[in-house]
This record gives sequence, C-alpha cells and structure tokens, in this order.
Amino acid sequence: MAGQGLERREVLRILAIAAGASGYPGFHRWAFACAHGESAPLQVRPARYAPRFFSAEEYATVERLAELILPSDGSPGAREAGVSEFIDFMVASDPGVQYRFRYGLTWLDAHAERDQGKTFRELAREQQSELLGHLAYRDRHRAGEEEGREFFRLVREYTLMGFYTSRIGLEQLDYPGLRIYGESPGCPHPGDPEHRNLKASKG
Amino acid sequence: MAKTYDVIVVGTGAGGGMAIKTLCEAGLTVCALNSGRRLDPAKDFRNHRQPYDMTYRGFGDPRKRDRYYHIENEYSDGVWEHGITYTTAPGTSWEWPRCHAVGGKTNFWGRSAARMGEIDFKAASLDGGYDSDWPVAYAEIAPFYSRVERQIGVASTVQNRPSNPDGEYLPPMKLRCLDHILKGGCDKLGVPYLPDRLAQLTVAHEGHPPCHYCGNCTEGCDTGSFFSTPWFLLPAAEKTGRLELRTNAVARSVLVDERGRTRGVAYVDRETKQETEVQARAVVIAASCVESARILLNSRTREWPNGLANSSGQVGRNLCDHLYGTTGYGYLPQLLGQPSFPDNVSASQVVWMPRWQNLPGGPREKFVRGYSIYPTGGCGEYPWYEKEIEGLGSQLKRDLKRYYPSPVSFYCQIPSLPRSTNYVEIDPEVKDVYGIPVVRVHFQWGPNELLMWEHAKQATAQVIKASGGDVWGAGKEPNTPGWSLHETGTLRMGDDPKRFVTNRFGQTHDVPNLFACDASVFLGCSDKTTTLSILAFSLRTSEYLVEQLRTGAL
Repeated sequence: MAGQGLERREVLRILAIAAGASGYPGFHRWAFACAHGESAPLQVRPARYAPRFFSAEEYATVERLAELILPSDGSPGAREAGVSEFIDFMVASDPGVQYRFRYGLTWLDAHAERDQGKTFRELAREQQSELLGHLAYRDRHRAGEEEGREFFRLVREYTLMGFYTSRIGLEQLDYPGLRIYGESPGCPHPGDPEHRNLKASKG
Repeated sequence: MAKTYDVIVVGTGAGGGMAIKTLCEAGLTVCALNSGRRLDPAKDFRNHRQPYDMTYRGFGDPRKRDRYYHIENEYSDGVWEHGITYTTAPGTSWEWPRCHAVGGKTNFWGRSAARMGEIDFKAASLDGGYDSDWPVAYAEIAPFYSRVERQIGVASTVQNRPSNPDGEYLPPMKLRCLDHILKGGCDKLGVPYLPDRLAQLTVAHEGHPPCHYCGNCTEGCDTGSFFSTPWFLLPAAEKTGRLELRTNAVARSVLVDERGRTRGVAYVDRETKQETEVQARAVVIAASCVESARILLNSRTREWPNGLANSSGQVGRNLCDHLYGTTGYGYLPQLLGQPSFPDNVSASQVVWMPRWQNLPGGPREKFVRGYSIYPTGGCGEYPWYEKEIEGLGSQLKRDLKRYYPSPVSFYCQIPSLPRSTNYVEIDPEVKDVYGIPVVRVHFQWGPNELLMWEHAKQATAQVIKASGGDVWGAGKEPNTPGWSLHETGTLRMGDDPKRFVTNRFGQTHDVPNLFACDASVFLGCSDKTTTLSILAFSLRTSEYLVEQLRTGAL
C-alpha cells in the first residue's frame, strides 16, 4: 500500500524527538541516538568479482543460472541484486552445502556434453533455458534427471534467498516492513469483508 | 560482616521482574541475581535493520548454526546460550534454548497475553478428574490480572467468552484483509476468530510510546512498546534505590541454616568462575521452571538429601509444555494479484482462534481439555511459499509477486497433560561450564496432545477451505518438545504438602521463607500462554511475602 506508510527515516526522526522529550528512565540509551541501519555496509559490487568458493568457470555458470531463474526482464533481476555474489559468499561460508553445489554444476556440464557436446556454459541461452525447464516444471520432467532436479531446487532456493533479501527484491514484492506505521494498519476494504470484488492489480 | 538483604530474587524474567519491582516498592532491599548480562537495545536488538543490512542477510553464519537456529539468527546473535545446559534421557527430544540476558525471554516473547479462566483452574474437575485443580480460583486471581494488564498494556476487545475471561484492554490491532476472509470461514464453521490479547501498545501507555508496526518484535523492541522486564519493571525498582542487580551471577544452590530456613544463595560468577554467597531473610526463585527445579535439586544437604523443599519428592515433576506445530498452510485466492498489504506489522499474531473444544455444555471430543490456534499470513519478510510455486524466469517472478498477499499459515498451542513420566532430575555425570550439575530431561508428547494435534490439523484444513482458500499442506510432525518455551510445573502449588511443593501462595511447604514466582508453580499449561499468568501470580506471591515479612511471620 504505497502512500499509506510514512517514510521510515521520517518516523525514526519523529520517534527520536518523542524519546528525548519523554525522558523515559528505561534502558539507559535510546536506540535512535545511534544511526542504526545507516552505517551498515552497502552492497558494493566491484567491477570484477573474485569468487571465494567457485572457480571462475563455475562462478560464470552460477551467475547464468541465477539470471535464468530471476531474469532482468524490464524489472530488476538476479543480476542487479548481485545474487551470484551472495550465493558464492554463502556457499563459501557453509562447508555443509559445498559438495552439493560442486556436484550439481558437474552434473549440468556432463549432462549438456552428453546431449549437446558442449558444457552448460557454452550452450546458447535458449538451450540453457530449455534444459532448466525440464528440471523446473513437473509436466516436463524427464527420467534419469533426478540429480539435476535436486540441484535445480538448490540453486533456485539460493537465488531466491539472495534476491528477496536484497533491497531490490524486497521493493519488488513491496515488502511492508520497509515502512513504519503511525497506527495499526488494517484492511483497506471495509465495504467488502469477503474480498470477493477486489479489482485486479496491474503488473 | 556481609550485608543481609531482605530478599534475594533469582531471575529477572517476567516472574522475577514482577517480584523485584513489588518488593522494592514495598520498601524491602532486594538483591537480584541474573545469570547473564544486561542488554543494550541499541546494540543487541535488531533496530530496524533489514536483511540486506546484515552479512548473512539474517540467515546467520552457517558455520555457527546450531540446534537453536529457529530462534537465534543474525538479528539476535550472542543473546542465546550455547553451552551445555541440560541432557536428555533416552527417548527424549527436548529443544530448550536459554536466554540469560537481563529480562530473559520477555525481551523476545510472542506477546500473546490471555488470562487463564475457571475452565483452566478447575480443568481436572471439569474433564472428569484427570490430575488436580489449581488451589486458586479465578475470582481470587482476577484482580491481579487487572493490575498487570493496567501496568503492561494489552490490546484486545471484550469477547464475552467465559473460557477466555475478558480483561482491561487498550484498543485492538485492526483486522487485516486475510483476517476478514478467514473470519468469514470460521463463522460458517462456528469456530471463534478474534483479536488476540496482545501485550503490544496500540496507544501510548504509562510513559511508553505506542508500537510503530515495524514487524521486528521477536528481535527485541528498541522503543519498549511491548512488555519486557527491562522496559517495564526494572526501572521502577531501580528508582527506589533498594535494588542491587548482580549480573553474570549463575545461581548454584539455595543455602539453609540449622533451623531449616533459607539464609541465602550461592552463585558462580560467569566470568571469574568464583563462587560467592549472598545472604537474605527470604529467597524468591524465578529462574524459569526447569532452572528453578535444578537449583533446588542441587541444594542438597544432610537434611535434604533429595534436594531442598523436596519432602514430597515432587520437585522437578509434572513438567508440561505447549505442543506447537504448523497445523496447516495454504493461500486465499481472493487476494491473488493484489498490491501488498501491511500484514507483517505485529510480527506474528493479530488474531487467535481461542479454545472452542470441550467447553462446558458443548460437545465432548476424544481428548480432554482443549487448544488454541494462531493464524498468520500475508505479506511477510520472506516469500516462504516459493516452495509451492514451480518454475523459473519471468513467469516465476510474476507468480511470486502475485501470490505475495495470499498465503496463510496456522500454528497450534496445545497443552500437554501433567504425567509422572515427564520430569527433570539432576544428571549425575554432567556439569555445565560453571561446574554446576545440569538437569536430565524426561519428556514425551502423550496421547491426549497428539489427538489434539490431529484434530487441529483437520480443523485448520476446514477453515482454509470454508474461507475459499486452497490447502498447500501441514506440518508432518509437531515441533520438538521444549520448542515453545512455555514449560510449566516442577514446583506445583497445592494445599497437600505430600503432593505439592508450594502452597497456594507459591511458598514452599518445607521452607517457609523460600518462594517460587515463575511458571514452576502452575498445575498445567492450558491453551493460553504463560507470561501474563506468571506476572499475576508473581504479583500475588510477592505481596504475600511482603505481608509475611511485615507481620513477622517469617
């Protein structure tokens, strides 16, 4: 509900003034006295990212997979949100998942070579998309690709994790927690409690 | 000679906090022992950080993830205990995260604050004699509930259901779109769907600013807009000048004199590992019920070979907990494709479905007593429903956005029945890092609670369907025992010293100047949360203790 919520920064400012005025003898320091959030590191994207876990070839494949799962198609996708960097960082931090990623990437290349004589990375984008489509949609599943489907689930999960925890991703969902509210925000359709006649949203 | 305080209070959670405030304001000197440090809301609470402000986006460092992953993450890193605090008997799974910071779990609690009613205090009589009634009637505790509600601020409505007595309430949270739809379904089925009793300030209250609906409650509130001990109780106690709060003081045992009365508490300093004794005329233990039992069981002397105040053999017995679990989840097609709604504002429940089974005069179920359900849903912090949406590419992006306002999920709050097989004892072999023997937990869900779990899953599916929604699934198993952090029992109250550890005022039958002010005195856990009742019973016990000291009865 754009417009319903106040700008977060503005609310924090108002609350900080209220806090100072009340002189409330609770915790010794009001949280708003410090710049929480604002001093946190920005998502800096270096021109050329040096992966921590993946080899350069593996990383290129991960980057492509993330872009195929959440493409930049008029609205921002995995690329704009730096999802492949997030995946590399998380996998580098998690020995428990490293083998599954490495095995899955190997499976993709071996599978592409067997069928098309090229590694996954060397395929045309449409061919890559076609291959993933068989892993992604139940009615297109093929026998003998169970391991591939398992890897696709894994890489999709990490892609969504990276995207929908980025500011870009949360803005795309219009996550209401990006705003703060002056009063308890309720349902905006008082005339239609059953919500049978809502207008379809554009986009 | 060392100072002798009027009272030592062990623990600063809901029960300890209320005792500390009440005793200090009555003019008594209090030494409060807390096993952890003070929190600084500016540093230790989430403070409106978004996932992208954190290194691991709130998922936490995978190398540090332990069994408490469900409760500890990057937002509350370093607040929960990681050392060994208990062991389990063969066949027992018990998941029991400990928060040792000042204020304990009140810093992060779920804020649901319903009163228990006569249906809970007289549960044994009403359901045909299983176990025992409480020694306290609703009419006796009701004034204490009112005083607590006025202090902490609870938002709700008058609902006129005797099984959920009404209290004194601030304006309720407003119903969201998904609430209106689910309420329609519940109305068809005759299932109540009502504003929860929520200890979250919808208006400014007693000097505390109102909620700003950021949705970060379970990581600590930096404006103190919901009840916690550090925000609501300790400042008043500290203002009296009669409170000495010792942090990082891990209570080892309660000390007794030659007359069989307590004279103080021995504790170990968390950092130096040095043991210290502190003296007082009376001791209140409120360390949360398993810890409280542990302290008494570890207070062995020649006179008390089985633990202090344990002539009944009931210390540590009758441990209960709420069975939690996802009873169902799905989505409401009415909301597909709608713009996002501010649904995440209270972080969890705005509403609840209070117990509607086995009410007096109503139909009887296959189980005794009853349970509640909390519905949640809508536009949340993370699109967890992605597992239900297949595919990739632009279609996936559109689908995830389209479904964003529509998911709903339900979790149950099912009381376990007191049973002789659910208890804690001291593990003869294992000590914690402070050299204090830990408890060994014996606990399993019983048939009554598992019947309720099945009932709740069926009821949830019916509610989703009656609301026009589609069911995606339900939890296969209930959560591990201990998960809800609503344990009760171990020092239960009753008039018979042979069967109960404490009397109706929370005073131990065996040691007259030793009191318990946490959920350890509860007979059972009912379908309501524990915190409000802990506060009310602690207030009552503390005032009784003040009176006993004043009249010289102690």
